[in-house]
Amino acid sequence: MVFSGLLDRDLLRRRRWSVVVAVAIVLLALVESVNAVVAPSRAPTEKDWAAAAAKVRAGFRPGDLIVAAPAWADPLMRLQLGDLVPMPVAGRMDSARYGRVWEISQRGARAADTAGGTVAEFSRHGALGVKRWEKRAAQVTFDLLTEWHRAEVSVVTPAQAEVPCAATHDGFQCLGGASLKPELLEIDTTLRNGLAVNPVERETLVLVFADVLLGRELTVASGLHNVWLRKAGDGKVHMRVLVDGRELGAVEATSQSGWALRSFDTAALAGQSGKVRFEITTDKSNARHFGFAAEARNP
Amino acid sequence: MTVEPTTSPATPSRWRREWLLPLMLAIATSSWMVAVEGRQGIGRDESQYFRAGERYWGWFESVWSNLREGHPRRAFSRAAVDGTWEDNHEHPPLMKILFGVSWRLFHTCDCTGVKRGLHPIPISGRHVTLPLFKRESSAFRFPAILLAGLGVALAYWLARRVLRPVPATVAAVLSVAQPHYFFHAQISCFDVPITVMAVLVALAYWKSLRSPRWGILCGVFWGLALATKHNAWLFPIFLAAHYLWIRRGDVRRLRLPRPPLAFVSMATLGPLVLFILWPWLWHAPVDRTRAWVQRHMQHEHYNFEYLGRNWNLPSKEPGLKLLRVTFPFVSTLFTVPVTTLALSAIGAVVFLRRHRRGDRSQTLLDQAPTALRPSWLRPGVDVDCAPGVFLAIHIAGPLVMVALPSTPIFGGVKHFLPAMPFLCVLAGAGAAWSIDVVRRVIKAQRWSRVVPVSLAGLLCLPAVAETVRSHPDGLGHYNMLAGGFAGGASLGMNRQFWGYSVLPVLPWMVEHRPASNRIYWHDVLHDAIVMYSRDGRLPLGMGDVGVGEQVLEQSELGIVILEKHFTIYEGLAWQAYGTTRPSIVYTHEGVPFVVAYERHAASRVPPPRSEIFAP
Repeated sequence: MVFSGLLDRDLLRRRRWSVVVAVAIVLLALVESVNAVVAPSRAPTEKDWAAAAAKVRAGFRPGDLIVAAPAWADPLMRLQLGDLVPMPVAGRMDSARYGRVWEISQRGARAADTAGGTVAEFSRHGALGVKRWEKRAAQVTFDLLTEWHRAEVSVVTPAQAEVPCAATHDGFQCLGGASLKPELLEIDTTLRNGLAVNPVERETLVLVFADVLLGRELTVASGLHNVWLRKAGDGKVHMRVLVDGRELGAVEATSQSGWALRSFDTAALAGQSGKVRFEITTDKSNARHFGFAAEARNP
Repeated sequence: MTVEPTTSPATPSRWRREWLLPLMLAIATSSWMVAVEGRQGIGRDESQYFRAGERYWGWFESVWSNLREGHPRRAFSRAAVDGTWEDNHEHPPLMKILFGVSWRLFHTCDCTGVKRGLHPIPISGRHVTLPLFKRESSAFRFPAILLAGLGVALAYWLARRVLRPVPATVAAVLSVAQPHYFFHAQISCFDVPITVMAVLVALAYWKSLRSPRWGILCGVFWGLALATKHNAWLFPIFLAAHYLWIRRGDVRRLRLPRPPLAFVSMATLGPLVLFILWPWLWHAPVDRTRAWVQRHMQHEHYNFEYLGRNWNLPSKEPGLKLLRVTFPFVSTLFTVPVTTLALSAIGAVVFLRRHRRGDRSQTLLDQAPTALRPSWLRPGVDVDCAPGVFLAIHIAGPLVMVALPSTPIFGGVKHFLPAMPFLCVLAGAGAAWSIDVVRRVIKAQRWSRVVPVSLAGLLCLPAVAETVRSHPDGLGHYNMLAGGFAGGASLGMNRQFWGYSVLPVLPWMVEHRPASNRIYWHDVLHDAIVMYSRDGRLPLGMGDVGVGEQVLEQSELGIVILEKHFTIYEGLAWQAYGTTRPSIVYTHEGVPFVVAYERHAASRVPPPRSEIFAP
């Protein structure tokens, strides 16, 4: 044996576990050192991103969604493909309406937007993988965000008087200070397109869409905008959702509630036109900047 | 446990062990930092300390000029003192004074030219200096870098209380070879200086248990620590806890232990040193000390990303409260190199075994009592000084303080950095044990000298490699357990703060400067932009539309620092510039840190897109 004269076999036997631990720490040091040198080279290069982007661009069809996984790589995806991810897509309510999702992923990550999909196409570009996911797309029968200008907005005062709000070029302005307009909002540190509402205490802001083609569900997503305002205020914003006078339910937004999605069952009314009414109130309006989006759709 | 073979204090080997080795470690550390600090950008806090440091220097100049003009008291009037020392008075002045003095001594002066107006103090003429540094920011940073070098030497001396030279060297190297520590060590801030002070005070206290000279010095050092950063308030708590532990025999007998000289010295000399060093206190010492304390006791909560959440308020939900408490412990687990953590775990076992049944493995140096009766001058001579408890308190103390639900949310490993040198002494003990095992297993005499040193080098290697890898983005680095930069980002751990990471983007910003010169700098403070200009990294007159959500709309070119709570600014940039497509992204190992957007860039054909990699 080469090591017969080098190692104290008796000690090796007597202090077996000590030797195991000492050898383990030496191996750990070696592995960590090698990892520190090698790991940086595992990061995707600009060339990888360009190749992945070219692949997506070649197969992209209008209506497709492009996402990065993990989500922190999103700016790099937009650096290459931002022209295919305009603000309405980047600030989407959710990805239910997208049947084809291009996912540029690394390190085995998977985007939540691909949930329920199957991989139709896969290619590897250095450290990046491009997958085209196919899934059943929800059919949106009415997008209340893009159709915001068709809404009638009013406030109900504490005296129960309903006062219509004035339509402006980009939204509604109400008596008493409440307002509503479409905006790109930051809710739960993600960007969302939504109807931004500044509610006022003791008043109810009412938003009515008179003629909504309903699907099997009405999906509402909501939350509070602006990280600084969420920190500054502690009030709750409450929104009742009614269809043809019947309450489907309610959502409540607090500083901690994030971007909350809720689907209300409208299967009984699918295919019919209905009157959708939202009633928004708050207990403390200080620093409360509420945002929501809603779609009538067939999932 | 063993007593180290004694040699005469005058022998060359002892001199080499006790002075030359730590001196070399200190020089190597400071040289390393001087060589690489230029790649690290300027954070919000650092830029303010540059300004304050230069203004503080300006006050010293005014003392001299008033003296020459025959008005020696003028500079000490309340108006003159407050005029200068109100600036950044929420932090004590020692390091800022040193930054200012170092700038004055070592910058390469082109102060009388076009940059004259960029200084916060009047420039009356060309400065005669020893121009060690081309960039003014480097001259400001030099004291922090020297102190970081001293910190390594102190870590060595602290480790030498319980370890032989080789494992003590391992402890010293590991104390600086930590990506987050290294990041903070080379900049003009207070987080590593206060860590160095923590070791200095702890070492002085330790020695004071058996030497009255160190008892007096302990008070002076604590005064310097108080003048460095408010973390120093905690030091007496840690030391008192240890003192009560070693004198627990007195406590059990219901006899109050005598206050040791170190505590008497800290109670008297500490505040005195602080008062002398901080002119802002001079005219209203009580009121202003109270204001200083209240400022930090009632500090606002910062935004900080931890495990995928943005934390900026104490949570009311029990689960989240508990999760927040885990922050310093999980962050330590994910930011300290894994080998260092493993060595610390072994070291903890070594100290536990010492406590339970006495260490027979010759791993630790002897701490046996040296006399039968203590005195207030030598309060630790009759007892075991419990080095394990001493280290445990200094490691757990800063972490627990940050974990307390009542502590404001600051985030950042920097707030519990003072634990790290002590953790590394523990790691040194782990290294000592590992070296001891391997040395005993290898019989051959010819290997007996080589093995300890080689093994010590190997045990330091991953920490050094990780630190090199992390630069200049040490804040975004996470260890092998977390999966490096990308793993940390995927875990939702904080990537950066204070906007330091813009430096690699500056050349591109200059190249793409819009004709209107309307540039949005997001979290990069105007003071930092000024220093980049003084350093020659930005042309004079580089535009700055200011801060806030409204001004972004007025800009033509803007950056967004990628922190979780800054998402709102990226949305504002999309709206202002009409595109979601950035013009440039700065990345480190594929993880984005900064994005820049240009107005109308979306219409350019072909758009010049590029990703900047860490320099």
